Amino acid sequence: MVSETDWGFLRDSVYKTVKKLENRNIVHAEAFFTSTQTTEVSIRNSEILTQNKADDSGVGFRVVAAKNKVGFACTNTLDEKTIQETGEKAFDIAKASSEEPNFALPEKDRIPKVKELFDKAVAEIVVEEAVDIAKRAITAAEDFDRRVIAKDGRVMFQTGWRGITNTLGTDIAEQETKTVIYLGGSGKQKGEVTGSCSDFIFSRAADLKPEIVGQNVAEMVIEMFNPKPVKTFEGTAVFGPEAVSNQLFEVLVNALKGENVLAGHSAWTKKLEEKVASESLTITDNALREKGFSSRSFDDEGYPSQNTVLIRNGQLESFLHNATTANALKMKNTGNASRSPNGFNMVRWIIGNGYRAKPEVHPSNLIIHQEKKTKDKLVSEIENGILIESMAGFPQASSGMISAHLSRAFFIKNGEKQHAMKDGMISGMAFDWFKKISGVGNDSKQFQNAVVPSVRVEGVKILGA
Amino acid sequence: MGLNIIFEILEKCLQSNIVNQATLVQLRGQKRVLTTCTVKNGIVEEFSNIKLGGVGIRTSADGKSWGFSSTNKLDYEDVEKTLQDSLKLAKASSKLKKHRIKLDRVKDVTANVTTPAKLPLRNLPIEDAAKIPLEAYKGAKEVGTHVADVKATYIGIEDDKYFVSSEGSHIRQNNTRVLLFVDVIAKSNSLVCPASENLGHSGGLELFDKTPPYSLGKTVAEKAVNLLKAKAPPSGKFRVVVHPTLCATLLHEAIGHPLEADLAMAGGGFGNSIGEPVSSKLVTIYDDGHVQGGLGYFAYDDEGVECKRTNLIEKGVLKSFMHDRTSAATAHVSPTGNAHAWDYSVEPLIRQTNIGIEVGRYSLEEMIEDVKEGLFLQGTFGGQADINADFTFGFQNATRIKNGKLTEEFRGANVAGNAIEVFKTIDAVGKEAILRPGACGKFQFAVQGRVVPAVRCEILVGGMGGS
Repeated sequence: MVSETDWGFLRDSVYKTVKKLENRNIVHAEAFFTSTQTTEVSIRNSEILTQNKADDSGVGFRVVAAKNKVGFACTNTLDEKTIQETGEKAFDIAKASSEEPNFALPEKDRIPKVKELFDKAVAEIVVEEAVDIAKRAITAAEDFDRRVIAKDGRVMFQTGWRGITNTLGTDIAEQETKTVIYLGGSGKQKGEVTGSCSDFIFSRAADLKPEIVGQNVAEMVIEMFNPKPVKTFEGTAVFGPEAVSNQLFEVLVNALKGENVLAGHSAWTKKLEEKVASESLTITDNALREKGFSSRSFDDEGYPSQNTVLIRNGQLESFLHNATTANALKMKNTGNASRSPNGFNMVRWIIGNGYRAKPEVHPSNLIIHQEKKTKDKLVSEIENGILIESMAGFPQASSGMISAHLSRAFFIKNGEKQHAMKDGMISGMAFDWFKKISGVGNDSKQFQNAVVPSVRVEGVKILGA
Repeated sequence: MGLNIIFEILEKCLQSNIVNQATLVQLRGQKRVLTTCTVKNGIVEEFSNIKLGGVGIRTSADGKSWGFSSTNKLDYEDVEKTLQDSLKLAKASSKLKKHRIKLDRVKDVTANVTTPAKLPLRNLPIEDAAKIPLEAYKGAKEVGTHVADVKATYIGIEDDKYFVSSEGSHIRQNNTRVLLFVDVIAKSNSLVCPASENLGHSGGLELFDKTPPYSLGKTVAEKAVNLLKAKAPPSGKFRVVVHPTLCATLLHEAIGHPLEADLAMAGGGFGNSIGEPVSSKLVTIYDDGHVQGGLGYFAYDDEGVECKRTNLIEKGVLKSFMHDRTSAATAHVSPTGNAHAWDYSVEPLIRQTNIGIEVGRYSLEEMIEDVKEGLFLQGTFGGQADINADFTFGFQNATRIKNGKLTEEFRGANVAGNAIEVFKTIDAVGKEAILRPGACGKFQFAVQGRVVPAVRCEILVGGMGGS
């Protein structure tokens, strides 16, 4: 658990630095600071590989100099002198920067309280318990069927504080816990090695249910044996929650991000209040969701959390914004400033997340509202098609083109799952698919920044091997 | 706090009684300074100075299991507590381990290595850092009105690392890396075409001597704008000539990952096929940490093992996997210097450094001339690989080859296949290799180099149109 004394010292030193910066020739100054303690056990090839612990604290300053020039500097050396030097460095950089006319910070506001983001049991966990959970997941998978190999995985327990202080009077902090169990498995029989199957739980609580995760992985692996190629065809596709949470999520978020709307290359730039998807698609971004993995009381620049309707019954109602994109587009801030956006971004990976980065626009918990049908029911209504549980390959998010390898998919004929697919691909424009959704499942699953169910789409092109 | 003080703390830690309770202790101290500047559509969007420092300690307990602990608090008491935590973590799973890992003792090394840099980063005034992406933006914007969005990011990384171990090694490595990323989106009515390219090397600002930022921006924008006139990509299995820019991704994702011992031992696509033919006879693949200028240039890895060239596949025959000390001990071979950690806060993993394909004897023109019906694929959008050697990755543009001639242009899509099957279809390797910057996100981030010629093979293309 993060020491209260260390956190108090950090918060005081940061506050003093922001106060000192106020006396310089600045427009605004802001400090974002975190302190986390993470215990993690990793699994590799049926065994516990290592146990890790990481203590990490740091502060990042954004300073706005005259003419809205913005600079950023951060450090994880947390003595008072270095913290002050880092604030000054951000000011120096701001002076060397160019004008950012639309830059804005949120005004001080009332912050809501989101329930159950902190579980004391997580803070008290000892590494032996994490090892035991990992071992139980391996055993559950491999005892279920001897052909299953627990290939990789991890169990993570994290406690931390996150705080923001700025010259507009915001001085807030929140304590949270995060827990993750992930298990990836593959199967081996008579020289055949299946592709990976994985299951996971993103949670706030200590109770991680390793037996369920292990058994789920084993059941998925067994279904992957004896895959067969199919010929190219057009049919109905059910995308399972994992497939939705990757490629489809990325295209959706790209079109909904205020910064892309501002740059004019969101596919939905001029489509507010227009139909962009089928009636059955309703999407919200809910940072207030109880126990939500990416819920929070305030976003990463201090704006109060909210539940925003983005698409209602297929109609576009809002984009995702932080203070700057909302200001630029004269729209309402939606509290989506994030310093830990996930997804593939090489620059972000090099820089790092949290206090090391300035905020971007990213969903908190992007929720596709579920309907009543089970995934099996959605599948049973298909004459000729495919169930895609996971796909590999990055989409071309700006154009909406998805061209992905079917890494875990099953051929469907007359409402019945026939066999796993070998070496197929799927290709099409996701923006067309959103309009051809013919069903949404009731099997929502929490991912890092999404809570999504299965989605069924008509007229999808499947490429055979 | 300077790195010298971290060194002193690490050296002092080696004298602690805790070290005597462990089979092996590896301590890594690091200071990193990153300067980044992103220019988006002419405005400096992100201009940052990131200073990080910390210590990561890896401990082997009872010769069976590893524990790793890291901290950013750099006083002796905290670092010693981190050492204690590391030992406690190692012991937490040692009872579950059936086998003792008998690591080969590595030669204790005392070394101080600095990556050569003609124009060191420390001489770059802060204002001038912003000029680099601004120039790239100017180059792109001048291509015309169809250039809808330009993002250019400069990154300079200065690393000072120190490694000490209870086996007696003391290694200091000082490395600088410079990167420039340019992403352009061209737009015409509702058609959106992205293109991107990056430069990167281990060294200084001389990176831009050969390709100035302005010309990189211009090249990427021209490519994006030209794609507006191209057709939707076709689909189906094609005979393809793969340009080195894309071959870099094919090599890293498709064949590189299955050659990493940790993935191979998990029942990966190559299984235990050492000495067996696994690829076309024209293919020789190696990994070499000593490629000058490669983003994956390292003198020593993060277990203190010297990086060197390892032949992985020789004329189609599997010769070696990439190893860390643990996997090498399990396979009864020598470690290959492939244990690398992105920074002090994470433990070393088996990673590629600069992976390469030996050149063949064909010019690009000759490789195209021999194709009756096929595609020439260029540029990369990154990819993914699975344990069974299945891969997917994106190309940025393609040209149809008809009777040995390049004809119509297509926009990008993804290709997919199984690496082992695809590499068996290689029937020509280019005679010129280029050094490409690369990155990988296997469990943690890494920057790497790739030394790649063009290759010709068969691959499944997931385009929008027919064949």
